[in-house]
Amino acid sequence: MRIGTDIVAVSRIKKLLTTHSESTGRIFTRNEIEYCRQKKNTYEHFAARFAAKESVMKAVGKGWLQGLNWTDIEVINLPSGAPCICPHGTLKRLMQQAHISSFLLSLSHCKEYAIAMVIAQ
Amino acid sequence: MVEEQEIFEKVKESIVEALGVDEEEVTPTATLFEDLGAESLDLLDIVFRLEKAFGIKIPRGGIQQDIIAAEGMKEDEVLVDGALTALGAQKLRERMPEVDAARIYEGFRVDDIPTLFTVQTFVNIVKRVLEEQPRGH
Repeated sequence: MRIGTDIVAVSRIKKLLTTHSESTGRIFTRNEIEYCRQKKNTYEHFAARFAAKESVMKAVGKGWLQGLNWTDIEVINLPSGAPCICPHGTLKRLMQQAHISSFLLSLSHCKEYAIAMVIAQ
Repeated sequence: MVEEQEIFEKVKESIVEALGVDEEEVTPTATLFEDLGAESLDLLDIVFRLEKAFGIKIPRGGIQQDIIAAEGMKEDEVLVDGALTALGAQKLRERMPEVDAARIYEGFRVDDIPTLFTVQTFVNIVKRVLEEQPRGH
């Protein structure tokens, strides 16, 4: 079992995504972008999802080495509203190698910051 | 071929815009995190700015991948459980000559490599990518 956590300033992600709007799709999936854009506090949700992706990277370790992309880590919401990690592409392969069957995810955000905690189990 | 000084000037401009620091602070030896106060998200901002400025694509984790790819080594020769072996540390020092060698040691965590980045690291990355992927192609 491994853990990963990250904190993101909402203003920073807002600046990044407004300055480089053409690169949003390199970090977030289409579903994530749609989800965040339909929310009133759009950038709080983007920040929380970015923190979740960084947390997964930390929990998996050496993800960069294996060519793990940001969009391989997708945050989806269950019908209950609870967020969870939906793995794609390289992340699926890394999970098999590291004997990880799933991730537990907790997100929290306010106007200024978003944090994520991930447990790889 | 783009001259190193020209690359440095554009890298400096990108870092000044991304971090909101003074131009004088952006020297080749300044470290991004400790000296210039960058956070991990800022690295992404800098990379996107450099990609636009030079018309290139910078691969994520390129430096780390290079260490393993070097001389056809296997991952466990240079890395054990996410930390550099003695050989891995030696290869990283060779790959990042702009970094104080004492900061790269056996047991150094590969996830912490970005904390070693200096302004010159970005100049070197851009130079390497431009050599492999000439501008206009």
